[in-house]
Amino acid sequence: MKRARHGVHVLALSMAVLFLTSSSAAQTLHMPAHEKYVLKNGLTVLLLEKHGVPMINLYAIVKTGSAADPAGEEGLASITAGLLRKGTKARTAQQFAADLDYIGGEFDAEAGADFSSVSAEFLTKDLARGLELFSDAALHPTFPQAEVDKLLAQAVDGVRGAKDDPQQVLGLYYYGYLYGTHPYGRAAGGDEVSLQRIKRDAIVKFYEGNYAPGNALLAVAGEFNGAEMRKRLEDVFGAWPAHTVAAPSVAAAAPVKGKRLLLVEKGDATQTYFAFGNIGIARTDPDRVAIRVVNTIFGGRFTSELNEALRVESGYTYGASSFFDSRKVPGPFGVFSFTKNETTTPAIDLALQVLQKLHKQGVTDEQLKSAKSYIKGQFPPNIETSRQLAQVIATNEFYGLGDDEINQLEVRVDAVTPEIAKQVIEKHFPSENLVFVLIGKASAIGSAVQKYAEKRDARAISAPGFWPPPSGVIK
Amino acid sequence: MIAAVLMGAPVWGQAEFPVATKTLKNGMKVLVQTDHSIPNVALYIFYRIGSRNEGPGTTGLSHFFEHMMFNGAKKYGPGELDKFMEANGGANNAYTTRDVTVYQDWFPRSALSLIYDIEADRIQNLSFDPQKIKSEREVVASERRLRVDNDNGGLMDEQLWATSYIAHPYQWPVLGWTSDIEHWTMEQLRHHFEMGYSPNNATMVVTGDVSPEEIFQLCEKYIEPIPTHAPPPPVVTVEPEQLGERRLVVRKPAQLPLVLVAYHIPRTNSPDYYALNVLRTVLFQGESSRMYQRLVDKDQIALDVSSSVEPAFDPTIVEVVAQPKQGVDPQKCEKAMYEEFDNAKNATVSDTELEKAKNIRLAEFYREMRTINGRANTIGTDEVFFGDYRKLFDAAKNYSAVTKEDVQRVAKAYFGANNRTVSTLIPENAEEKAKP
Repeated sequence: MKRARHGVHVLALSMAVLFLTSSSAAQTLHMPAHEKYVLKNGLTVLLLEKHGVPMINLYAIVKTGSAADPAGEEGLASITAGLLRKGTKARTAQQFAADLDYIGGEFDAEAGADFSSVSAEFLTKDLARGLELFSDAALHPTFPQAEVDKLLAQAVDGVRGAKDDPQQVLGLYYYGYLYGTHPYGRAAGGDEVSLQRIKRDAIVKFYEGNYAPGNALLAVAGEFNGAEMRKRLEDVFGAWPAHTVAAPSVAAAAPVKGKRLLLVEKGDATQTYFAFGNIGIARTDPDRVAIRVVNTIFGGRFTSELNEALRVESGYTYGASSFFDSRKVPGPFGVFSFTKNETTTPAIDLALQVLQKLHKQGVTDEQLKSAKSYIKGQFPPNIETSRQLAQVIATNEFYGLGDDEINQLEVRVDAVTPEIAKQVIEKHFPSENLVFVLIGKASAIGSAVQKYAEKRDARAISAPGFWPPPSGVIK
Repeated sequence: MIAAVLMGAPVWGQAEFPVATKTLKNGMKVLVQTDHSIPNVALYIFYRIGSRNEGPGTTGLSHFFEHMMFNGAKKYGPGELDKFMEANGGANNAYTTRDVTVYQDWFPRSALSLIYDIEADRIQNLSFDPQKIKSEREVVASERRLRVDNDNGGLMDEQLWATSYIAHPYQWPVLGWTSDIEHWTMEQLRHHFEMGYSPNNATMVVTGDVSPEEIFQLCEKYIEPIPTHAPPPPVVTVEPEQLGERRLVVRKPAQLPLVLVAYHIPRTNSPDYYALNVLRTVLFQGESSRMYQRLVDKDQIALDVSSSVEPAFDPTIVEVVAQPKQGVDPQKCEKAMYEEFDNAKNATVSDTELEKAKNIRLAEFYREMRTINGRANTIGTDEVFFGDYRKLFDAAKNYSAVTKEDVQRVAKAYFGANNRTVSTLIPENAEEKAKP
């Protein structure tokens, strides 16, 4: 088994997050040419030809995500996406798997907070079959009851299994405790209680209400002939009947005032996993590039202030980081790390000191210069493959961001001054108002961590749900 | 450009691209693959040292060096390597296995000279500052708590290897046993570094926005003058044949049980490599695979079932992991898996399954080859474990040559009861355990 030096992001395992780190020395970054058009039924299509590797990637966005899950039925968008391939007009789940695997293809469908995505990858020589499989699942799912029951049962156990590894669920508790009943607090995958409430009727209704050409966009990238692809897409997706969908909207949540702390008890934990922060920014926030630069310095890379303090200088942890999960309306910001039971409060104290130092001292010219080079130098591999490009053009389109998001990145990064950095620190990095979530051994750390907040809550990790605790009783 | 070169491949659907090679006077082999599609470079150095080169009392040293290699040398002091690299747009990581330690640098081509200066500095002049060693021991201990103590998959994997092997050094974990991590001596550290980090014990792969000429020039300037010393002594211990099933049980608080099964197989560079991968693909890969269909879809006793094999210099194991659903007796999963192995022994796989497996391997080839990062890793891995990077171009051909009879033969040869080790996690009530 491989053991790496670093690279384990606390959230990486538990949530689908799209956050591009960022580009290179001279003005070199540019999005490859691509075209956009709209089919008669309202489906927006984005085409990007990229030659060199004989593969094709499809990435469709349905503009409804888990934030639209009904309260108490968290996981509905996710289960709906998961069931697309589990029985269609033309195929049983088993036939779909056999046909997909036969061409060495990949198919994935999932729900994030803001949108659901359906994606596929196959060799160019299998274009006809690949497109047909993709559209069969996306456009013609039948949601057989037996498959619904199977997937729901698996998802419930998936949540239980994730709770055996605190790192996988820290983010879910943190987002829940930070947002409360706001849709962004919901676990996209649902929990042990909510999943058992989901019925097939609700899934069918969710699909019919949201999977519609006018509520979707499709990006296609890879090695293909543009004219041929347009025709094929028209043949396959042109017949998708149009119907009106009321685009869901999410109200922005106000940042949390004061301090509060949730301790999730895991009796056998030998280290404490912790997160703290507050509500961060929207994906389109005008300060987003400056924030990216400052966060790179604060907690977004190996030599960040946080990792230097908690790992390199003190040895408290294998890794410490901070992260803005920017969304349609302000998404979460958090500091994440873990440390052995005995050093829980020293490590959290130190992380808080690093945050206070950022507010008091800002960032130096040297740090700014370094972070800018880092962002620019590390960006190009983010748009290296057609898989990445399909996803980038689709998500930029969804959030209303154009190619300038990439083409102007270097210019925007370079424009960040110490004064701008100071402003974004004050405006976007929390200081006194903080939400803490800890997963650990309460008998070892419970009394010591009381100092972080007057308002405190506690839960056992074995108790169903995340936060807030699910109401009602199930079976 | 990779663009032009991946396209050929009339027969097997797989193409070649040029790789320039040079062996430096000090014995380090350098492989370069040019690709100007992004202005970036991936530089990998494979050192042939891993936990198989350790012994009781020094387990985990190779992995510890993977960390120490970032903690300061002569020109670039503690913390400076990362700071210089990141300030110039670069990033790095590294990984350690039972066989090798691999260093990875990713950077814009503007940082080329700096990277070579850094690599040369740390290969020959690594510092052994007692304070850094002390704090890095703590970091590694934290990594161990993360990946083993608080991760059931990691814990059971460690137990599985420790039980599968009774003689060969593959038995101990790459991270090392906790007591060893706490007790390595300075002398042991120095010895291990000298043994592993000699230029003739390393292979360098560079892919991306570079030319072979400039890389070879940089190597002549920075790397070639580094003197060689004695490489690790050969690992002579041969694991004796396993003569019967071994079983181990771990009881700990958990919501779900877990079962892992290991089967001994030959080293990576063996004639059965391709047939074994085809068999594993048929049995484990994709939702149409036999094991998924049986355990997850039909019997509905597991959430997931998978298999893995790591590249290895010595005879190694196939590791099979089944994640039973809550309350399911892991032995039920075992029984279903053994029946599927038996089916693969008693009859050949179908033509469709064989064809599917080959198509999957071909698609995987392109997935690995489409990034400078994937190419650096594959070129290096094939060069180090097969002795020739060109093996990667023959992969599709070699998979095509696998017959149904080959697949049946390897199923019979390696997947028997006497050759397996079973590692089972039995959940224990957390509240009860917490009581004194």
